[in-house]
Amino acid sequence: MNLVTSMILRRMRTPFILLIAVYNFAILGMILIPGVDDQGNPWHMSIFHAFYFVSFTATTIGFGEIPFPLSDAQRLWAVFSIYILVIAWLYAIGKILALVQDPHFKAAVTRSRFKKNVKTLHEPFYLVCGLGETGHEVVTALTEEHYRAVVIEKNPNNLNEIRLNDMREYVPNIIGDASDAHQLEDAGIRHPKCNGVIAVTASDDTNLKIAITSKLLHPGVKVVCRSELKEYEENMLSFGTDNVVNPFETFATIFQMVMHSPSLYLINDWLTGAPYTKLSDPIYFRYGHWILCGYGRFGKQLYQLLIDQDIHVTVIDPSMEVRDEFEHHHVEHKNNFIVGTGIDEKTLKKAGIESSAGIIAGSDNDSNNLSIIMTARAINPDVFVVARQNIYNNHDLYSATKANLIMRPREITARKIRAVFLNPLLVDYLEIAKHYDEEWANIAISRMSGVIGSHNPHIWTVEINKSQSPAVSNALKLGRKVFLGHITQDPASRYLKLRCVPLMHVRGEEKTMMPEDDTEIQPGDKILFCGTREVKNSMDWTLKVMSSLNYVMTFKNEPESFAWRILHRYLHKTERRKVPR
Amino acid sequence: MNLEKVVFSFFMILALTLNFGFFVGEVDDPAHHNVYELYAVLVVNLIATVMKFGDRSQLGAMLLATSLVAVVQLISATIVWTVAVHVQDTGLTPAVMSTIVSLSGGAMLANIISVILLMIEAAMLRH
Repeated sequence: MNLVTSMILRRMRTPFILLIAVYNFAILGMILIPGVDDQGNPWHMSIFHAFYFVSFTATTIGFGEIPFPLSDAQRLWAVFSIYILVIAWLYAIGKILALVQDPHFKAAVTRSRFKKNVKTLHEPFYLVCGLGETGHEVVTALTEEHYRAVVIEKNPNNLNEIRLNDMREYVPNIIGDASDAHQLEDAGIRHPKCNGVIAVTASDDTNLKIAITSKLLHPGVKVVCRSELKEYEENMLSFGTDNVVNPFETFATIFQMVMHSPSLYLINDWLTGAPYTKLSDPIYFRYGHWILCGYGRFGKQLYQLLIDQDIHVTVIDPSMEVRDEFEHHHVEHKNNFIVGTGIDEKTLKKAGIESSAGIIAGSDNDSNNLSIIMTARAINPDVFVVARQNIYNNHDLYSATKANLIMRPREITARKIRAVFLNPLLVDYLEIAKHYDEEWANIAISRMSGVIGSHNPHIWTVEINKSQSPAVSNALKLGRKVFLGHITQDPASRYLKLRCVPLMHVRGEEKTMMPEDDTEIQPGDKILFCGTREVKNSMDWTLKVMSSLNYVMTFKNEPESFAWRILHRYLHKTERRKVPR
Repeated sequence: MNLEKVVFSFFMILALTLNFGFFVGEVDDPAHHNVYELYAVLVVNLIATVMKFGDRSQLGAMLLATSLVAVVQLISATIVWTVAVHVQDTGLTPAVMSTIVSLSGGAMLANIISVILLMIEAAMLRH
């Protein structure tokens, strides 16, 4: 018996027994007390009549004195019965209502409904722990692609109906602590269809626990964690967590891209942001003197990147301890440290803001960062501004500063996780692209913008196997040669190519960037495409429907119905053998 | 001694004894079977059933099941009685009476099982 029914039954025991007792007390009285029938003879109610009378009296329906008018003795008993019966009923109903209102009972109902929802999931799903801004973005992205997601969130405010109702798929969700193994089990961590666990709670410690629990309870599952601290990251990776996303490190990579190749930065920004980003303008990094405000986790990484490029950097930080640490680590630059916050004109001028090329507002306090940007821009309007945003609600304020580069931890994490789960090849692609030069990146970006234009980009991966591309894999099995050019052909018209760019072709360990149309397709190949969603739908026709594939390969419409196929085969018996297919 | 256990066992055994009292006698002779006794059997069985609600153990589930069987049988018996006497006016013919009594016999069997289960539970307790 499940918890909810047993709870109801146990609570209803007393009211039910009371009802039965009171009913029978009243019935017994009705049977025993003598009455008079229509001929004036003494008469006793039968059990049946007594039960009938008591039933309609107890429920206050009151049909009257049936079958014969009652004697006064019976009436006296009836008056008495009415009061005790109504009280017994009120008590029973009150108990039921109290039970329904009971918070423990409500929690039990929610929990058992959640468990049932998870248990009955028949499609692959992802378990998302933490529905903060990152979690919300990840769930949105997953459900957009019609993957299912299950959510555990600690804070009831984050889990209100509105935030999950506008998702494309129903998202089972529960309020609870994701670091608790029972909670994870209820959420389906052992479920065979559980494809991945995404730990994006605010606490690194909780994320670590989730990763350990997941790897122990379901070793094959893909686990991705957010971590902001190095020691947690190393710990997570040590027991096989598939991917750890550290927003600070990810931003450092992005900053590096901006320094080396603006086009590469554009590619990264555009592709990881898909499908919500439009192509932005390139950002041109400026070399010269830089000012770094805030020398914490964020500042240290950027400082290292800047001095690696022999850029002269002045550091501003209010803490004396930080200064001592800085002087200890960078003895040769020790004169470049100013104690202060950087929010005042004096400090910034002392750091040389008038003649500097760029400034980084990188403290962990949003008001200070905004103030630094405003002051710096007032003195030197052309300065290149890198801003660190800490609190999500300040999104619009940061956008209004028109800073050249804004570091938004939640967005960065969400983008990375989206790529890892939806298009793992994209992560590899961007990793390889880093090693190419600016010229290559320029060509790549112009090809992409050529096909996508001002639409929202869509990234997808095509796998040549039976389930994802049955037509192509069938054709390959029959010994026909399929080329990449066939797949990118519009299956509706022989004169049009699909507006998409093949980004990468993967065969085993071998990865080819920007493959050409004459690349031959083999079973097991994976191809990463970038285009629009409509193009992906058109491509699915070629991949899945034999007659569409035949069309893009031969530009002939072949009959599909049984009779026409036989007729066609008969008419073109000789001809078909000559045509190389 | 636990008062709850006393009350619980009391109702289950009373259900069986009353049931037996109604059941004994010629199967088709209305004089041997009292309507008030049937009524009492039904009421006591209902109470015994409700008392078994909400026990999540295996034994609890079986106890509840036996009681539900008894109640279903007894309610059928009372419906047969009511229909025969009040609705169709056939009266308590031997055919009707034997139906009622055999239904109550079935209920008695369920009650016996229930009491046996109760004894097993008592025997299993070591303290």
